[in-house]
Amino acid sequence: MSLHRQPIVLPAIVIGIYMLYACGPLLWLVLSSLKDRQELFTWPPSLIFSPDLTGYRAVFGLGEAAQTATAMGLTDALINSVVISVVGTALAVAFGTLAGYACSRFAFRGRDDFMFFALSTRMIPPVAVLVFYHVMFSRLGLSDTRTGLILVMIFINLGLATWIMKGFFDGVPEEIENIALVNGYTRLYAFWHLVLPMVRGGIAATAGFCFIFAWNEFAFSTILATTQAKTLPVKISSATGATGIEWAQICAAGVVLVIPVAIFFWMIRKYLLMGMTFGVLGRSRT
Amino acid sequence: MRQAIPMAATPGKKIPKAVSDRTICGLFMLPALAILILMVAYPFISLLYYSTLNFSILNPAKGSEFIGLDNYIRLLSRDSIWERFIFTGQFVLATVVVQFLLGVAVAYAFQRNFRGRDLLFTVAMLPMMLCPIVVGFLWRYMFNSEWGVMNYLVTLLGFEKIDWLGVPTNALWAVVIADAWMWTPFVILLATAAFRGIPTDINEAAEIDGASPFFRFTRVTLPMSMPILLIAFLLRLIDAFKQSDLFFAMTGGGPGSDTETVAFRLGKIAFSHFYTGQASAFAVIILVIITGLSLIFVRLLTQQGRQD
Repeated sequence: MSLHRQPIVLPAIVIGIYMLYACGPLLWLVLSSLKDRQELFTWPPSLIFSPDLTGYRAVFGLGEAAQTATAMGLTDALINSVVISVVGTALAVAFGTLAGYACSRFAFRGRDDFMFFALSTRMIPPVAVLVFYHVMFSRLGLSDTRTGLILVMIFINLGLATWIMKGFFDGVPEEIENIALVNGYTRLYAFWHLVLPMVRGGIAATAGFCFIFAWNEFAFSTILATTQAKTLPVKISSATGATGIEWAQICAAGVVLVIPVAIFFWMIRKYLLMGMTFGVLGRSRT
Repeated sequence: MRQAIPMAATPGKKIPKAVSDRTICGLFMLPALAILILMVAYPFISLLYYSTLNFSILNPAKGSEFIGLDNYIRLLSRDSIWERFIFTGQFVLATVVVQFLLGVAVAYAFQRNFRGRDLLFTVAMLPMMLCPIVVGFLWRYMFNSEWGVMNYLVTLLGFEKIDWLGVPTNALWAVVIADAWMWTPFVILLATAAFRGIPTDINEAAEIDGASPFFRFTRVTLPMSMPILLIAFLLRLIDAFKQSDLFFAMTGGGPGSDTETVAFRLGKIAFSHFYTGQASAFAVIILVIITGLSLIFVRLLTQQGRQD
């Protein structure tokens, strides 16, 4: 109640300035994706012009635009991206949920070390392990395969998933399982039918984050997926042909890339804030 | 500390179990452990091994002679490596300070309830969801010195056009602007989560006691949200330290090699020159630094938790 009485001017200014910074480039991305070659390099830059869909046609491999030498033809890469990030996210969330539950409920030797070890996956610069993956993947026959990249996506997201899920499990009172156990149900039953439904929001939030990271991953994919398993970001980075950088196509591909994530994010926005506390709030305040 | 096995309320009554808790714990941990060992521990041990070899993946068959710490010595005695560390440090400091101040301020402003807040908040999160490579190219396009929109804004303000990406200092700031654009939303998100977690009655009590908004922010809000803000700070610091995608797309490390970060240079040694042994040594050094950084923060975090 007290918050309503306070002047709203300063917050409005802060949000206003920030929204200009955040939205300006987004607007420019959308505008540039609709410009033709001449319009892209006009000085002063144009705000009003007749839209041209060549960029998008080239991205989806439609019509004449797809036949030109510079067309990227992103459909294959789009399919690769969807398969790899969806499967990778599902597995990372599944494994992270199990490990998060174990770390939340059981005190086993080395648990804290495991948690730190899991978080360390977020901290490793991709190139550092890539030096080795490059060798390992070629030995195992995983180079340039979807399976290989799925493994990478699990790896980059597993630590985050474990941490976020542990936070959510910490927020579920342990009494729930204890009562179930006393009443003759097994722990597995209690986990599956009682605890898991209570953290559905957490699973959604975790999946949201993992998907964003998997969908946008570039460093690993660009080294490990050179032709067959190329994902969208890798394909985009190679849009620098003989005629220079294909700005319209890059921007169109950027718009195409962000749409599914933005929709997903809007759907799970309620749970994201909870997930982002990593259980810190739950620990100190319940 | 939790009990290893939660005990039933009535002692003596036998708890039926199809599978023991120990087994469940083990089974639940198994996939995560397997992945982490395969994808982190094993590579790290191999990296240590490679780092002592004169080895190139271009030619795996021969040339893997043991040279001890030579790779490390050769790397660290090169001035250009230290220049990369200094440049990375400047970038990390600049970008983390910018996005942290901005992120916390915006998150605090978003604490007010107003119509359309959810929508505005989601839109504010969008930059974070874009692919880094697209973000890099987008800003490179906007920062173009001849026809880029940033220079149009600069000329509108009455200044001369700036050569954004051709001069090292300008390029540093250009990438900071792009990196902060992309990652301030992450700080906003975590700071918002932290602020929401503070019980409202504490703030109300402070207000009744006559505390000014500034006092309430610095003495109540900030200290109480510190644990999460520290996590955000740690994650942003480490991400900024390993940033290379934006530099790859925006400057390509240029002009010359003036805007190569440590991670960028590592990529170059590993995948342009294919000095695998030397790259492994460099990777080990970077991993040690990052682990050190994270340990400091984990220590801070656990201390903070105890004070609550």
